[in-house]
Amino acid sequence: MNTAIQIKNLKKQYGNQSVLNGISFEVKQGEIFALLGGNGAGKTTTLECMEGLKKYESGTIQVNGTVGIQLQSASLPKHIKAKEAIQLFAKWNKAQIDDKILANFGINRFAEKQYHQLSTRQKRRLHLVLALLRNPDILFLDEPTAGLDLEGRASLHEQIRQLKAKGVTIILASHDMAEVECLCDRIAILNKGNLAFVGTLEQLHQTVSKQYCITITTNRKTEHYPSEHISETLLPLLAQYQAQGIEVLDIQVNRGSLEQHFIKFAKEA
Amino acid sequence: MKAFFYGAALQWKLDIRNKTLLLNCYLIPLVFFAIMGGIFTSVMPQAKDTLIQSMTIFGVTMGALIGVPPSLVEIYSSDVKKVYQANGVPLWFGFVLVNLSAFVHLFMMSIILYFVAPRMFDVVLPKQPGVYFLCLAVFILVSLSVAGMIGLAVKDQTKTSMVSILIFLPSIMLSGIMFPVALLPKAFEHAGKIFPATWGYKLMIENIQHRQDLFALLLILAIASVLCAVLLRKISR
Repeated sequence: MNTAIQIKNLKKQYGNQSVLNGISFEVKQGEIFALLGGNGAGKTTTLECMEGLKKYESGTIQVNGTVGIQLQSASLPKHIKAKEAIQLFAKWNKAQIDDKILANFGINRFAEKQYHQLSTRQKRRLHLVLALLRNPDILFLDEPTAGLDLEGRASLHEQIRQLKAKGVTIILASHDMAEVECLCDRIAILNKGNLAFVGTLEQLHQTVSKQYCITITTNRKTEHYPSEHISETLLPLLAQYQAQGIEVLDIQVNRGSLEQHFIKFAKEA
Repeated sequence: MKAFFYGAALQWKLDIRNKTLLLNCYLIPLVFFAIMGGIFTSVMPQAKDTLIQSMTIFGVTMGALIGVPPSLVEIYSSDVKKVYQANGVPLWFGFVLVNLSAFVHLFMMSIILYFVAPRMFDVVLPKQPGVYFLCLAVFILVSLSVAGMIGLAVKDQTKTSMVSILIFLPSIMLSGIMFPVALLPKAFEHAGKIFPATWGYKLMIENIQHRQDLFALLLILAIASVLCAVLLRKISR
């Protein structure tokens, strides 16, 4: 898989305060890559340096392809209509407006509304469409579902998956672990300007915790058993229940959520 | 170029939808003209010789200094700026469009005033209309450059209004449009020379006969333009 973005030893300061302390990682073409971190971890700064919106003190950022950007906090003049904003940015970028994209994002339903009349969901959709105008190879999404209701999130997730299917590389900054877990191929965790982890979710599970939690519900009670090897723990337990005439109703094996791992990882880092 | 013209036409429409700019560029200047025109020409009949110029100076100064900075703050002190940058639109684009649209609105207001004043108050029209409108164009440009400085330098809508009024009031009071500058204390007369309204009024009455007025305006324009460029550069970082 080719590299879409390569970052080497990126350093950024605000005044005397160091925000990024020489981070390095790669994003591969066609993957959905998440940047995670608590408030002040440096994820939006990293994203804005990658997008070319912020200058940095040292290091290199190589971006291979055209870029589309959806910002975390974005706005437009309050009296501009949705369709006017799309036309303005399309004309400036000499881009063709793809009617399919407008239809997919339901823009036609609020094309005549002025920006200040749009709901949060409609604004998010509009900004995403603006980011897609240049037909980008790489799409940056900063907290794309913040402020959206469940239906809006599900719809946006579907659209993100469709973009990935078309081969678009997506870099996502999010606080929403469930969103990251269901969408992303790889993640990077930032902690106080340092890169604490880069890899797949599976690698994160292996790095943070090798312990599973087996939950067995029987006709008498529910019990939790920590285990490093599922079969070694589970099989004797089942035999024991059978010997005691206890009926097993449900078995769950849990490795902990991304959120739990993230918190643990951030603390350890 | 297509994008520029589309943007210019769009900004024109946005300004019409934005009631504040219409209020500052048309309604208040023209209502002020209707009331003060009547008072000036009754109290001082000689005001008929300069009413068009004095009311135009008021209207343009008001429209530029009070009307334009909020539109610039809306772009440059908010997330609109980031959206422009993120979508490959250079930051000067918004600045130029806002000023271009305001220029057209202020010129139109001045034309309305030019044609209505003789019918309402039997005032004297400028002797050389072509030169008069040329002087008007220069004055609008200079006023917009000062308004641009305020809009780019001040980051907050409330503070912008305060700064605009702090510059607008002395501009009008010390410019000579309400009463002759010669009646003012010398210090105030000198202080009035730092504002475009003073030079603009003289220029529009004297119609470039005194080059000094034009040079003074061009000097203010040059200084304000350099400062606007520096501020835009600073904002884009």
